[in-house]
Amino acid sequence: MNFVWISFIVVGLGIMLFKNVDIAFSTILTGSEKAIALTLKLWAIYAVWLGILKIVEDTGLNQKIGKLLNPIINKLFGKTDPETHNQIAINITSNLLGMGNACTPSGIKAMNGLSKGQDVITSGMIMLMILNTSSLQILPTTVIGLRVAAGSVNPNDIIFPTLFATFVSTFSGIMLCKLCEKFKNKRKKNGKSKSALPQPDANLEAKHIYK
Amino acid sequence: MQFSSYLIPILIILLVVYSIFKKNNAYNSFVYGAKTSFDLVLTSFPYLVAIFIAVELFSVSGLSKILGMALSPLFKVLGIPIELSELILLKPFTGCGSLAVLENIFATYGVDSYIARAGCAIAGSSEAIFYITAVYFSQTKVKKFSYGIPVALISNLLGVVAACLICKII
Repeated sequence: MNFVWISFIVVGLGIMLFKNVDIAFSTILTGSEKAIALTLKLWAIYAVWLGILKIVEDTGLNQKIGKLLNPIINKLFGKTDPETHNQIAINITSNLLGMGNACTPSGIKAMNGLSKGQDVITSGMIMLMILNTSSLQILPTTVIGLRVAAGSVNPNDIIFPTLFATFVSTFSGIMLCKLCEKFKNKRKKNGKSKSALPQPDANLEAKHIYK
Repeated sequence: MQFSSYLIPILIILLVVYSIFKKNNAYNSFVYGAKTSFDLVLTSFPYLVAIFIAVELFSVSGLSKILGMALSPLFKVLGIPIELSELILLKPFTGCGSLAVLENIFATYGVDSYIARAGCAIAGSSEAIFYITAVYFSQTKVKKFSYGIPVALISNLLGVVAACLICKII
């Protein structure tokens, strides 16, 4: 991100030196002002949703959803130890519900559990990474909130398009993951590549892939 | 009013009623949860300032136009409007950044325009790939991500194409 930011600043200011240097600093201040305006809007949204999500958490509803996810987690990750399995369930549930700040700690713990202190990435770790980078959120609450603040006629009409796009990116991510995994394992079997992914539990994992 | 307008109010009613059955104090939970928004806002604010300044310089200097022109052939093939190029390029790096760009899109094209709606679907359906990868692997010894990053980028791009397509239809 550092590189991206620096190049935006250097190239942007660089061009303005020749084009419109008199408004260069005021442009920077405009950016900062806009950030404050957006922060206030976001604050209103976060306060409401974090309040609601806390009710979800305190009623134990998220754990119920987590239990429903067990078959899916088993299918995607194969055999994992109970603690890691639990952390994955918490991570996916909080992703689905949009509990941003609950995702990260559980995600890091799950990643640690999957890695078992090794320095090579496993297929399960990539799956967790893909699930987290392709959004899983069911209700795009922040975006809806921003639309309300911007005076949209129907702020909710993006729920379905967002769900559709989320589904496409997540589903294609999972499929591509499984495909790459298969391809790597095949290469490993043929002995052409030594860099193939190590399997944490070879028998169970293989059974799970070729099922 | 569409069906989707009922969704959030109904969910909230169900949740609060459920909390009565669970004998949970919903009011206390809500207040406690709302309090944590302080921390979230404080952490995201500095990022928003940094991103907004960069984005502002980017568009005022005319760079975004140049970039849009450079990308237009590729985007045309995929059915993505050029106006969304900034959003799509920044999104893998920063979640705050995509919200910042989205605000600019609302102001420029109108919140109910096709561009803004497609932008919403994109921002709501993706995450900051590089940021999340860095954080999640931060406590492991893993340095190489194998096919992880390419798969994440490709599936995100497919999500973008899907978002632009579906917003055109409905």
